[in-house]
Amino acid sequence: MSESGVTKVFTLGAAAGLVGVLATGFAAGWERFWVNWILWILYVLTVGLGSFFLVVLEHVVGAKWSVPLRRVPERLSSLILPMGPALLLALLALPVLYPWTRPGSHDNPIIAGKAVWLNVPFFVARVAACIGLWLLAYRILVSGSIRQDREADVRFNVRARRVAPVFMVVFGVTITIVAFDWIAGLEPTWYSDVFGVYIFAGTFLAGLAATTLAVLYLFARGKLPGIRPDHIYNLGGFLFAFTVFWAYIGFAQYLLMWYANMPEEVFWYKERLQGLWGILVLVLAVVHFLVPFLVLIPRDAKTEPKRLVWVAVFILLAHWLDLYWMLFPVLGSGPVFSWPELSFAMFFTFASLLWLRRMMARGAAMPIKDPFLREGLEFRL
Amino acid sequence: MREPVFSVLGIFDSSQQLLDAIPAVKARVSGRLDAYTPYPIHGIDAALGLRKSPIGGMVFVMGLIGAISAVAFELWSEGVDYPLVTGGKPIFSWQAFVPIMFEVTVLFACFTAGLGMLFLLNRLPFFRHPMLHSKSMPLITRDKFALAVEADGKAIDIDVDAIAAALREAGAQTIEVLEQPAPLGLLSPNFLMRVVLGIGITCFVAGYLTYWGVKLFPVTIPIVHMLDQPRLDPEREDSFFKDGFGMRMPVAGTVPMAELPFTITKQEDAAILANPLPRTESVLKKGQKNFNTYCSVCHGALGNGVPSLTAAYGAKPANLASDSIRQLPDGEIYYVIMRGKNAMPSYAADLSEDERWSVVNYVRVLQRALNAKDSDIPQEAQK
Repeated sequence: MSESGVTKVFTLGAAAGLVGVLATGFAAGWERFWVNWILWILYVLTVGLGSFFLVVLEHVVGAKWSVPLRRVPERLSSLILPMGPALLLALLALPVLYPWTRPGSHDNPIIAGKAVWLNVPFFVARVAACIGLWLLAYRILVSGSIRQDREADVRFNVRARRVAPVFMVVFGVTITIVAFDWIAGLEPTWYSDVFGVYIFAGTFLAGLAATTLAVLYLFARGKLPGIRPDHIYNLGGFLFAFTVFWAYIGFAQYLLMWYANMPEEVFWYKERLQGLWGILVLVLAVVHFLVPFLVLIPRDAKTEPKRLVWVAVFILLAHWLDLYWMLFPVLGSGPVFSWPELSFAMFFTFASLLWLRRMMARGAAMPIKDPFLREGLEFRL
Repeated sequence: MREPVFSVLGIFDSSQQLLDAIPAVKARVSGRLDAYTPYPIHGIDAALGLRKSPIGGMVFVMGLIGAISAVAFELWSEGVDYPLVTGGKPIFSWQAFVPIMFEVTVLFACFTAGLGMLFLLNRLPFFRHPMLHSKSMPLITRDKFALAVEADGKAIDIDVDAIAAALREAGAQTIEVLEQPAPLGLLSPNFLMRVVLGIGITCFVAGYLTYWGVKLFPVTIPIVHMLDQPRLDPEREDSFFKDGFGMRMPVAGTVPMAELPFTITKQEDAAILANPLPRTESVLKKGQKNFNTYCSVCHGALGNGVPSLTAAYGAKPANLASDSIRQLPDGEIYYVIMRGKNAMPSYAADLSEDERWSVVNYVRVLQRALNAKDSDIPQEAQK
């Protein structure tokens, strides 16, 4: 299919999705609309943030192997940009979905105790602060990197190395805020200290899977000259490690709550293990952990593009399922999946792909003026 | 006859020369190729045609065995051998099994990786490797690269001259022929490994036999399981004391804990004792329980002297509801419980102070119940 043909298909898909998205609010209720909306902005945001984390990680540790690949996660992290306004729009969901905004919610002593954190002005301020910090870091690290293609200024590397560790801390705090505010906040009486780490694990894995997928796509089309299986192996190794990390954190949270069996903690799992949700979480464990883990065990699997593509696709689907399993039980029914969910999936997937196609045109295919590019290309296992 | 040869070494100046020489030498001679280099060289495994290390597969299999054995042991011990409800969880709580399964998997996998590499694949302990006698050893550990064509253990007859020629043609600067070292005798690794293994097996067998021997033939018990201790058993003879009794009387002047000594010796004097307990339901319930346990056998459940033990027992128990006893003060009833009366023994040792007073209160209830008047019936019920 020609380039413009692909664009046309994507545009049509996004437009068809948009019709369904708008119809959802009126025909299926605003609760369903907003829960879908929050799921999908979190999905796109976590893919963008996870990719961005990979970029930041490279600057923090001074990794050389990933320099030739860096442009891919840099472009993927541009997904953060449109999610800023989308998050602000999602503030409209507060009175619909978030029980702590309702009058009388403070009669509950647990919610009353959290009132310092869970109040609308502070919530809005946090959302704004998170977006602002992400955009600032994006400007310094990603826009700076693309500008380096033209200006060949090595001072960018020095600056990035200084800023990246600071942003690492900011990232840890903001991703925890996202997890606590947007997901855990749906059930404000719930407690979990490790929840931020769990969301981080999913975020990084999603960013990594998207990066791997994009790298393999470009690699297969010869757009990344000089990239060797050694580079691909590192991505595969990362995926392997972090599927285990995700499972470890997810299970740690569950195990502690299951053991302690405290009513204010365990109800969250009770809702999510009953009926079809219980089957869904088994599926989640299989697609998010078991399959990627077993497939990636052999050394060859981490370099073989065909298998890696499948693993990456699996993880990206599993990340959706993970968010779905966390968010949708607040609707108070069993798992629902029909045209509203499909429309949202179509709209956000195609719109993101369209956005990425535009972003892929920015800068060279590799950070050509990065002083470490040569060293990165010479990387051997 | 020439000494048996272990290997022929060709010394190269750079890693690239070594890599280039490998295919050339491989094509011309038979024998196992090995390279000795000061640092790891990319791609040398593939060039030498070394098989992929089986360590990954070994680790996977052993990890799986670790996981399965951990779960099997947990299922058996928790669910079959000694089912114990912990924290109100079901007997088969897979969630609780996971951390242990995870740890055992890691343990098996790590041991397999470490020990398997050292002992199975690298064949340690390998004393006196012939290479250690090579004159080139100082060079190889610094900046030279050696390609060795090794006699494969059994096939000791390798064509030294042909190999030397092939190595030289491939660019080797120096050629060195390494002789097969003399057998090591007692110090051979095999012998040492067998000794260690033998000691291990002996310990295992001896331990196992001792365990079952002790269990099946208790006569030979070397460990007495704390049965035979120097101690005094209650109501047993003991030669330690002059009078031959194991149990001792309390020292003169000993008083029981939490109770004052009871010094009254005449029933009439006990009339001044005040009943400390109120007549509440809980006190009366306690009194009823103790009365039924200790008193009802003779005095009857109603306290009217009609016992469950009949005439077979000679003495006639008192009717507690009789007029004379009804007129006794609480203190005197208490005195009788303490000291006994006629054929009745003392119940001081069986009942605590509170229990005795609660029995007194309950006796008052029984007295009232057996001497009820019409006026006791509520007014509404009388109509």
